[in-house]
This record gives sequence, C-alpha cells and structure tokens, in this order.
Amino acid sequence: MAASELARKGPKLVKPILSIDHGEARRRVLNLYKTWYRQIPYIVLDFDIPKNIEQCRAKLREEFRKNAHVKDVRVIDMLVIKGQMELKETVHGWKTKGHVMTFFKDTQEPKPEGFLAKFISGTN
Amino acid sequence: MLRVPLSKALPNAVKAVCSPKRGSTTLAKAPEKIEVFIDDKSVMVEPGTTVLQAAAMVGVEIPRFCYHERLAVAGNCRMCLVEVEKSPKPVAACAMPVMKGWRIKTNSDMTKKAREGVMEFLLVNHPLDCPICDQGGECDLQDQSMAFGSDRSRFTDIQFSGKRAVEDKDVGPLIKTVMTRCIHCTRCIRFASEVAGIDDLGTTGRGSDMQIGTYVEKFFLSELSGNVIDLCPVGALTSKPYAFTARPWETRKTESVDVLDAVGSNIIVSTRTGEVMRILPRLNEEVNEEWLSDKARFSYDGLKRQRLITPMLKGPEGELLPVEWEDALSFASKAIRDAGSEIGVIAGGQADAEALIALKDLINKLGSELVCTERAFPDDGAGTDLRSSYLLNSKITGIEEADVVLLIGTNPRFEAPLVNSRIRKAWVHNELEVGLIGPCVNLTYSFDHLGEDPNVIEEVLSGKHPFAKKLLNAKKPLIILGSQQLERNDGVAILSKVQQMAKHLSSKIGSEWKVLNILQQVASQVAALDLGYKAGVESLKECPPKVLFLLGADECAITRDDLPQSTTVIYLGSHGDNGASMADIVLPAAAYTEKQATYVNTEGRAQQTLVAVTPPGMAREDWKIIRAISEVVGKKLPYDTLNEIRGRLEQVSPNLTRYGEAEEANFYDQAVELSKEACNKLDCEPLEVKYKDLEDYYMTDPISRASTTMAKCVQAVRKQKESKYYDSGTA
Amino acid sequence: MNLLPNLRRLVQNLVTQRTLKTSSISLSENLFVHRDSAEDNPDIKFEFNEENKKRADAILSIYPEGHKRAAMIPLLDLAQRQHGWLPISAMHKVAEILDLPKMRVYEVATFYTMFMRKPTGKYHVQVCTTTPCWLRGSDEVLSCCKSELGIGVGETSKDGMFTLSEVECLGACVNAPMIQVNDDYYEDLTPETTRKILNELKASKKPPPGPQNGRFAAEPKGDFTSLKSEPPGPGFKMQDL
Repeated sequence: MAASELARKGPKLVKPILSIDHGEARRRVLNLYKTWYRQIPYIVLDFDIPKNIEQCRAKLREEFRKNAHVKDVRVIDMLVIKGQMELKETVHGWKTKGHVMTFFKDTQEPKPEGFLAKFISGTN
Repeated sequence: MLRVPLSKALPNAVKAVCSPKRGSTTLAKAPEKIEVFIDDKSVMVEPGTTVLQAAAMVGVEIPRFCYHERLAVAGNCRMCLVEVEKSPKPVAACAMPVMKGWRIKTNSDMTKKAREGVMEFLLVNHPLDCPICDQGGECDLQDQSMAFGSDRSRFTDIQFSGKRAVEDKDVGPLIKTVMTRCIHCTRCIRFASEVAGIDDLGTTGRGSDMQIGTYVEKFFLSELSGNVIDLCPVGALTSKPYAFTARPWETRKTESVDVLDAVGSNIIVSTRTGEVMRILPRLNEEVNEEWLSDKARFSYDGLKRQRLITPMLKGPEGELLPVEWEDALSFASKAIRDAGSEIGVIAGGQADAEALIALKDLINKLGSELVCTERAFPDDGAGTDLRSSYLLNSKITGIEEADVVLLIGTNPRFEAPLVNSRIRKAWVHNELEVGLIGPCVNLTYSFDHLGEDPNVIEEVLSGKHPFAKKLLNAKKPLIILGSQQLERNDGVAILSKVQQMAKHLSSKIGSEWKVLNILQQVASQVAALDLGYKAGVESLKECPPKVLFLLGADECAITRDDLPQSTTVIYLGSHGDNGASMADIVLPAAAYTEKQATYVNTEGRAQQTLVAVTPPGMAREDWKIIRAISEVVGKKLPYDTLNEIRGRLEQVSPNLTRYGEAEEANFYDQAVELSKEACNKLDCEPLEVKYKDLEDYYMTDPISRASTTMAKCVQAVRKQKESKYYDSGTA
Repeated sequence: MNLLPNLRRLVQNLVTQRTLKTSSISLSENLFVHRDSAEDNPDIKFEFNEENKKRADAILSIYPEGHKRAAMIPLLDLAQRQHGWLPISAMHKVAEILDLPKMRVYEVATFYTMFMRKPTGKYHVQVCTTTPCWLRGSDEVLSCCKSELGIGVGETSKDGMFTLSEVECLGACVNAPMIQVNDDYYEDLTPETTRKILNELKASKKPPPGPQNGRFAAEPKGDFTSLKSEPPGPGFKMQDL
C-alpha cells in the first residue's frame, strides 16, 4: 500500500471517541448544556458569587457559542468531556469561588507594552 | 601611641637632618633581598619585612588580632606566634623582622600549641555571649577560635566569681560599646591616634584591670569614628544604629558608591527584606582605602525618612496632594508644552549622570540651553570647557606622594574626610608640610596658617610670601583649591591665580606631576560639568523660565521669591526637602541605593552605584521619569534602557562609562592663558568655608538631613562642647 | 579482686582531671575611669607652686628636645607631692606642659599604682603583705593599723590624716614585716612598735624610720654571725696541682 493512499484514506479510518455521527454529538452537547443550566442556581448559591442566575446563564450560552464553529465530531466530543470535567469539579465543590469567577474575568492582566505603559505600572 | 617623626616633634629644629624620606619610593638604593622559608617554601623579601608579611607573600595567613596593615604594629595580642627554627621560643610574627635563612613554621606543633594557649587566655576573660552579640558571624575571635583554638574548654569557674567584667563606655551615638568583650588589641586606639587624629581613646589601668576607654566622660567624636567598628576584631565596638537588626549571613550585599560627598567612596550596601540595614566600606586603594566617613556610613536611615513616595501636585490651597503617575506626567507635560523653550533646569548635588544627560537632552530638544548646576563655577576664561580646571588632577593617591600641600579656601576634613585622611597619612609618614589659606580650622594635623585674605594667594604667587619658598623647593607640591571659593564674585580671579601658581610650579618640576587640584563638594558636579551643564544659577535668575526643573536641587540656590508667580516648578528627587516644598509638581525619584547610576568623583573617576533595594512606593529611577515626560510632551528621547542611555552618555563624554578609571585632564597651559584674559581682581573679603566644625559636617544634603542618626550626632557634638572635658584643640 | 574497681577509679581520675585551676579574680580597688566628685573635677584648677615650677623646668631640661614626654612620670610625681594626691586637673596641667593629648597622661597615671588618683591622707600607710612579711606577721601589723586608725584597707580617716593600703613587696623582706609611710620604711615591726609609730604620727611627730627592733639596717641584731674570720688568701681550697 502506497503512502499517499494511506494519507488519502487516513481521515476516513479514524476511530470515533464517543459519538458515531453529528446527531449523537449534538445530543451530548445539549445534555451537557442542560445539566449546566439546571446546576447554575445551586452554583450561584454554593459559591456565593457576585453574579445572578441570568448572568450565569448568559455566560453559559457564551461559553458554548464560543465553540459553535467546531464541526469535527471528535473535537466536539473532546470539548464535551472537558465541559463535563468542569461541571463535576464545580458541582463537587473541588473548585473555589475564585476558580468559578475566572469564567467571568481573566485573572491575568496583559503585560504593559511600550516604555510609558511599563513606566506607569512600574515594571521597567 | 603615635610616633610622630622627629621633625614634627621639633618644630624649630633643623629640618635638614631628617630630609631623607621614609617612603619606600624615595629609598636611595634598593637593598638586597633576603631569602626566608615559610613552611619550607622559599620566598625572597626585602630586609625589614616582618614574618607575617613574608608569610602573606606565599599565601600563608597567620592569625592575628592586633595587627592591621594600615596601623602601627602593637604586638600585644600574641595570636600571631609562630615557630622559627632554632629559636627557643615562638616569635610574634607581626613585629619580628625576618633574618636571612630563617625557617618559619606556621603549622608546627609548637605554633599550634602557642595559638591554642593564647586563644585559651583570651577566652578566659571573654564572655560567651555570641548569641546576643552583633559581631556574631563576622567576629575574628569566633573564626579564629574555631580555626586555631583548642577543641575543648578547660575553663571552670569553681569559685563562681564570674568572668572579668568591665563597665561599658558611652562614646557617642554611633558606637555601641560592650567593653567586657574587649580583648585589648588597641586597634581602636591606634586608629583614633594615627588616622583620625583624635587622641581620645587609650588604655587605663594595668594587668587584668586594664580597660580601653576615654577615662573621663567624653564622646569619641570624629568624622571617621565609625571605622573603629570595622577594626574591632570582637564585638566590643559595634554599630549603635545597626544594633540587633540583622546578622551578616542574612543580608544581601550590593557593591555601590557613596554620593554624600565628592570623594565617591566605595561602599557595600547590606540589605535585608528590601531595607538598607547598614553601609560598609569597600576596599579601593585609589579612593577610600578601607575607610569610610561617618556621614556615608550612618546616614542610611535618612533613606527611609522624608521620602517622596508618590507624585504630588500643588492643590488649590498650596498644599501638595498625592496623585497617580498619569496625572503627574500629564500636568508636567502640559506645563512644559505651554512653556515652549522657556524652560530651565537646576541639577542638585546628588544627581546621577544618566538623569543629567536625559534632562539635558530633553531641554535641548525643547529649544532651551538653561541647564545649570546648583554649585557655581566661574564662567570667564576657560570656564568649564577644560576639565583640568575642575578636577582633583593629581588624584587622591597623589596626595600620599606630595611633600608640600597648599590648601586654599577649603576644609577637607569635613568637605572630603577621606581626602583629609590621606593628607594626614602623608603628614604622619611622609613629613608632608601643609599650608592653609582660609579660615583657621582644625584639620587634625599641623599646618602653616597663611591667612584668610585672598590676596595672600597673590603674595604666594609672586613669591613674596615665605611659604612660596617651600612650594618652590618642593619636589612634589600640591595646591588644593576648595570649589566653594569659585562661587565667589572673584572666583575667576582666584582660579586664575591658582592656575598660574600651579603652572609656575609644574614648569619648575617639569615632570608629569600635577599641581593644580580642585576639591569638589558634591557628587554630581564633575559629571554635570563633563556633560556640559552650566555652573551656577545666575542665568536662571536673570531670565526666569516658565518651567523650572529641580533635579534634586535642595540647597535653595533659587528660592520661590526669585521666580515670578507664573513659573511652574517641577521637583524631581528622592527626599521631601527644600526643593519639594517650593515645587508645584513633585515627581518621586530613587535615591542612590535604589538605582544603577553613574557618578563621577572629584578626581574625574566614573563609578556606578547598583540597585540594592527597590525605590519606595511609586518612586521611579530619575532618568526614566524624564524619559516618560519626554514621551508625553511629544519629544521622545531615543533611549529606553539603561544600556541605551549609557550609549548616549558615551557619545557625549566617553569617560563617563569607563567605570573605575579616572580620566586624565589636559590643556593646563591653555586654561591658564584663557583665564589670564579674564578679570583678575581679587576681593578683600576673607575666604570662607561652609563646614568649619564637626557640628556642620553631619547634615549637609537631603539624605543626611533626614537621618535621625546624623541629628543625634549633631546633638552629641553640642553636648560635648558643653562638657568640661571638651578640648577645642583636638575635637 | 579489687583490681578492677581501682583501675576504673584511676581511669576516671585521669579523664576528669583538669589542669587549669582558676582562682578568684583579684582586682584593684581603684577605679580605672574618672568620675567627677567634689574634690576631684576639672573645675578645680591645679597650678604648680613657684618652687615646683622651678623643679619642673629642671626636670624638663634633662630630656632632649623631641623626647620631652619622658618627663611625664617625674612631673606627675611632682604634682602628687605638691597636692598630696593626683587630681584630674593636675594630669591636665602635665598634659598642657608637655603638649600631649590628655589621654596619654591618663594612661600613665592610671598604670602606676603609686599615683593616687583619689584623696589621700597626709600619711599614707602602706602595709606590705607579700609572703615574707606575711610569714613574719604582717597580718598582725595590718590589723593593728586598722584598729589603731579606725579605718579599713583603702580608706582614709575622717580627719584626712591617714590612708591605709595593702601593698605588694616593697623589697625590704630582710626586715620583714614592714610598712611604708609616705617615703619612709618602718621595718622589723611588731604590733606594739606599729602602734607606737602610728601614735607618734598622730601627734604630728616623725618617728625615726628604719628597723624598729634596734638593729642597724639589715645587719644581724646581735653580734655578727658569719664572715668573722680573716679572709682566706688566694688559692683557698684549690687542689694542689
């Protein structure tokens, strides 16, 4: 078997992670979304975060929409698994308030660029 | 203690008898070297070398307590006992000159036993208080008892009478004494007597009653007193401000340079937890040897007080309000933009070369040339164009070789204590003769006082004065002119006369020897003049600019009254002193321990400080503040990093980045010719010096004025003056 | 049977034996720092009297130019003789005469025990208590002095007449026990003769110094005991060759 043929056939031969086709992947995504959606009121309460349920659900939607462009079934599956892990960590209280809040804001500020910005932040 | 040369003791006796100098440089014929053996290693030494020095030549260090290279040999601690073959008893290595063919055994059984014995006797009367002793960790006694002492103690206090105890002495606010720890090495006494020239310390009593002290209730006050702390091999004399604050092994040491006078003494800044714990001297034979003046050593607490830690703007009621850097920068640049080219700068005494060049570049970009230093210098004649007219040309080490020194209008003891200690060193060891024109002050050595009238300079120049003969007969004469005299109205005339005198003398000698020396008072002056700053603030007084930059200028060369109401004063500096209080915008900058910066000392030697701690609060390095303003103003300076700005320094004046080297000046003759054309009229007003008394010495700049230790010193001097034992002749 | 414990004791003795023996520290009763007092402070001026000024000049003239500081001890002694003891102002005066730092004079004055730096009585009674005198009964002499003068060692009587001190060997062991009163030696003492001497001093009389038991100097009290025969000539006790 020639190498070029292998390369041509390659993508078709890959083993699926979980889902066989797009429909199944979509189901998994929706499941995950719903579980998060239902958990949000408890998360807001448990972590005592300065956000209300609506804001959190908006964030949830935003997070899912971020990956709306992903078409590859295996990538979708991977993202779903990651999402489940996040969910489990959150619901079991393995995360702290700070971790949850990182969904809302980036904790690392961008490094100042240029002399003046560095001067004002006192980093040069 | 001090063995004054015979001719000093005989003020009126014939000098001719003692004319051969004792300095090794003038030895008539180099005597033959002799061979000795140190631990069977052969070494050729000059006759008269001691056993200890000979051992040092082959890298064998013999333990010692009382011996110190820069002090007279005392030979009283006996720690340096070594075996010499065929000698029945061990000999004291520090005091015994070697003889031909001697075989010295520095590690034999007899030597070891002798050391153990001496150490045992020392420890019998030394308290076991290392855990509460500030010397712990840098104690010669600790180290040497570990290395050479016995491994077990035979000391038993069967009578429970305790060890010998000695009452502590109060010798002033700088030195803490725990006299029970004293091992009577007498280094402090020898230092006080030989180097500092203050014979206040001595031994009283005898045998086991002997103690070191002042006998009467008296402070040991000298501008060099702190050095006895370094000299003390045990914890008897320790630093009072540093007491119980840090251990030597937990401090971080940064090599730096002192900027409180123009000598540029090399220092080590010891820091811990972002705080300067103490300052120690760093060995540099060409500048400060291993000594350090008290102001440089103890004024570090001034770095923590009165600091500017945030930018400030003048509020509606004239009070300064803290603001953010953005606001301060935008206000400053608005003022600068509005002023256009009507902008001026006064650079203070502690400005570094980087800040000086950045500010000069900015002002020049804005179209102004009004960059001035606080200290004046005559503009006529050669002015500041020729470096020879503002440097200590013969270098500090040159003083040691000189045979006649004429001081004009200066009190080196308080303007530059380590220059004075060199003069004293030459006076003690080299039979130097000193003449002084100016106020009769106590210089710790004897001198011919020629008067206070500047016209005496003229008399000496014309050869009418009796001292002129001494100068003319000298092989290596020196003239040291205080920079303060150049701020007088007749400064140019004084400089011109002195230059003529120097030219006359050097043409007589005809060698490379430099006669003319100017002793600067502040650390920034030479760098500022090298960079093309205009000396003195006259031009600013004539046409006051709309924006006046004060770069650490705190000496009130210009006061608010000299300026119109509309002038915006921007103060850039580290301390809230006179300058900040008259400013509209205050920009907090770093002090010398907080930045890597270039300073040029009075010899023209470029040296750099290193960052020991970070600047407090929102303070920033000086040149960076200027660079930031330039960007906001829209005249961006082309350097962002230290290397780039140093590149710029090198373009302007290459000597500024050749660290450690003193760049020679030249064009002496041209300077004389140019100054001859200038006004040559001397005033009748007597010469005056700023620092006459020890009291004036301690607080002279923003850092030392903020220091409580320095304030305590001033208080101590005043208290001493009221004491019955105050001796105006010696203190 | 007994060998083993004995051996162990011996080894123990060897191990615990210490060779350095300390004795209680004996320090001088004098203070080696100066404290201002009513009798001794720099405000009380000291001046040599006319006679002593001449003496001082004579002392100074002995020493060559450049070595005048060698006159320090004689001058301090002169000051002490004039004043009875050596106040701080006298040290200052000597420093002034010799043009030396004061500390250099303090050093010398505190080093020598015969410079009295605190008020001292007109008669300074110094009892030798070193071994030869002690063996010959100096303890009795000392206690006699104490009870007779009513003062302890190192003290001065209230009337300022007597100061009693204990000193080390004064070099008159052949006439032990002895005391020194100012410059005079009183030798071969017993408590009785000591009492007599002190009483005469109290009455401002000066008892004749020297041995108090009637002998002359260090000669035997009775007749000579040795060297009485004719001295033998040369060759005495030499072997015949």
